[in-house]
Amino acid sequence: MSRDFDVCIIGSGAGGGPVAYTLAKAGFSVLVLEKGPWLKEQHFTKDELACCRRKVYSPELRDEQHVIEESDEAGAWQVTPTEQSGWDFWNGNCVGGSSNFMSGYFHRLKPVDFELKSTFGAIDGANVVDWPIAYADLEPYYDRVERLVGVSGKAAAHANAEPRSSRDLPYPPTIEHPVSKRIDEAAKTLGFHALRVPRAILSQPAMGRRACEYSGFCGDFGCSSGAKGSSRAALLDHAVETGRCEIRPHAKVFSISTDAKGRISSVDYFARDNSVQRVDARIYVVACQAIESSRLLLASVGPRFPKGLANNHAQVGRNLLFSAGGAGSGDMAYADHNEAETRALRQVGPFVNRALDDWYTISDPKLGRVKGGIIEFLWDHPNAVVRAENAKWRNGGLVWGKPLKRQLETWFRTDRTLNFEVFNDWLPNDNCFVSLDSQVSDRWGSPVAKVRIGAHPQDQRIGRLLADKGEQLLKQLGARRISSSVGPAPPPNLQAGGCRFGEQAEHSVLDPDCRAHEVENLFVTDGSFMPTGGSVPYTFTIYANSFRVADRIIAQLGGERSGNT
Amino acid sequence: MIRRTKAVRHNTETDQSDQGLLTWRRSLVSRRRFLIESAGGTVALLFGLQHIVGADDYTPWATLGAVLEHLLPTEPDSPGAAEIHALDYFRFVMTDKRVDREQRDFILQGNRWLDDLAGEKYGRTFVQLDLTGKEHMLRQVARSSAGENWIATLLTYLFEALLTAPAYGGNTDQVGWRWLQYVPGFPLPGPGTRFTELPL
Repeated sequence: MSRDFDVCIIGSGAGGGPVAYTLAKAGFSVLVLEKGPWLKEQHFTKDELACCRRKVYSPELRDEQHVIEESDEAGAWQVTPTEQSGWDFWNGNCVGGSSNFMSGYFHRLKPVDFELKSTFGAIDGANVVDWPIAYADLEPYYDRVERLVGVSGKAAAHANAEPRSSRDLPYPPTIEHPVSKRIDEAAKTLGFHALRVPRAILSQPAMGRRACEYSGFCGDFGCSSGAKGSSRAALLDHAVETGRCEIRPHAKVFSISTDAKGRISSVDYFARDNSVQRVDARIYVVACQAIESSRLLLASVGPRFPKGLANNHAQVGRNLLFSAGGAGSGDMAYADHNEAETRALRQVGPFVNRALDDWYTISDPKLGRVKGGIIEFLWDHPNAVVRAENAKWRNGGLVWGKPLKRQLETWFRTDRTLNFEVFNDWLPNDNCFVSLDSQVSDRWGSPVAKVRIGAHPQDQRIGRLLADKGEQLLKQLGARRISSSVGPAPPPNLQAGGCRFGEQAEHSVLDPDCRAHEVENLFVTDGSFMPTGGSVPYTFTIYANSFRVADRIIAQLGGERSGNT
Repeated sequence: MIRRTKAVRHNTETDQSDQGLLTWRRSLVSRRRFLIESAGGTVALLFGLQHIVGADDYTPWATLGAVLEHLLPTEPDSPGAAEIHALDYFRFVMTDKRVDREQRDFILQGNRWLDDLAGEKYGRTFVQLDLTGKEHMLRQVARSSAGENWIATLLTYLFEALLTAPAYGGNTDQVGWRWLQYVPGFPLPGPGTRFTELPL
């Protein structure tokens, strides 16, 4: 039977890009359906209103939202639609997805992340399992991402360094801020080991993209130079150049149809004019970011899938992951520094690029031997309005007039805030999952995703231990007003799980190749596959796994047709 | 910011440090309900008005301008609402469909309520009051939760006028950034790249 395309990919972010790139280069016809618009370098500016206050890169919540279930103090589940709360779970709906707006902290997972259960044992109340693949299976693909997406940094000997097949990163580190050296020294004094963080940011022009221009506005902002390794700039643009990859923006897939044999026969989407369009392919790839991928499968019922696509074992949506941990800060007061030091502190543009992974695994008298995480250091987000907002309150009341102006001057002109962020495993558990809401629909009438957010208490204990280490380092740096917070609220931009991969269909949605156990022409390549999340931001691992799955898809299609990857 | 842990939507509640996140989000929910109700006119009662006077041809802009200049006054060595062209920025906000309709209505209606209150108390409009009278009026307004919410909302958009890209009408010649020694990013939005003009 003739098909419109060899492969149809739903979603154009970090999960979709590597498949589109690899398959198009290998000679296959590829269609990418993306819900949002196709913005390019020339559209991205350093605009606080666009990125963060009006959130123009994601849907308006009155049109498309989520329903969030959180536990209250009494342990009852409180249900709140995000249009009411303003708590936004969209992270960038445009070609390239949220990878356009990432900060590009590209840590690999470590070998231990693939075998948490074997290493640390089972945990009561958590669904911890080993991965069906090992670090060695993913390593060649981390290496591929470093080259094709463009990762900068310097691999150095380090106690917790992951094994590498290539000696060093392909691009030298980005220019670093003077504070980085101070962090190195402070860490050394404390007996910690600061490591240089690899970044998905080009430090040199390469692959048709410009180098970083050091505006100082990276995370949350689209990259105007092309240096950031978004799926769009690094992969999709090249996929389109082959002439075999078509990207359709403004294409909102709402259902995947299956035939009597349980194979996908087509996908239906709303085009920009809200007309319903249908397309078919030999292989289908779902990569809409974890929550939305589970939602799409659950919404796609068929003759063989009454509870949703690939969901006959009721696994779709379960074991959703975020990233546990928290954040801390300390103020580097200019009054504590001489003129030259202050000038150095005020530099805007160069990156901090420092993290601590000394406690990636922990042996603690109280906690025992447990999985820990990392601590990432970075300057306070550069957005100005959000900083000013905090200045309008004092002692619970509003401040205005000259007192407000003096407060603004103090907040903006007397110090610079150095932050740290803690990343540790969000333990998979039965109270963190995606389902379809029975009452709230999106603007096309489809049920929205309902997300129950339950966290395991161990997450916060580990997070607190790490945050205390972060505070120690800030103290050693001489920062003032040091504080940190670790709580159960998840960062909505760090999502994984929901369609975990594994050997057995009874306990997982995907097989070890990320093909659905129950649907032979369906692959899921965003972060949904992860049964445990590790303790670093997800994008690098999503990219690497998607490249790995792309090779499996080529094999399923009978091998490479032409060109090379 | 790698971990996005708080909503940074254009809300006015930022003083949440000693509240649980759940409580804070609930307060957002009630804020929204409050805005919807106030758009229906109940704010007049919350402001403490006995009755609503005011003529049908009322226009809020002169009052809004005076309130903004009071909230962010001009000083010899630092800009105020006048220098950053805050009123121009608010005119832009009123056309911005990304700002809730209820919130836009709330911003404008608050001026009428303020003038009505000034009329009741002093027999004048807000603009006609001297500095002390204006301060007294705003302090009185801020004592009710509705009034505090209205002023907090104005401050939010006043900060936007002060600290967002000049292409949106405020922060004239980057005077807000220069005053606070703030280094903006580049490229900045300009004609053709303002968010209202993107091919979304």
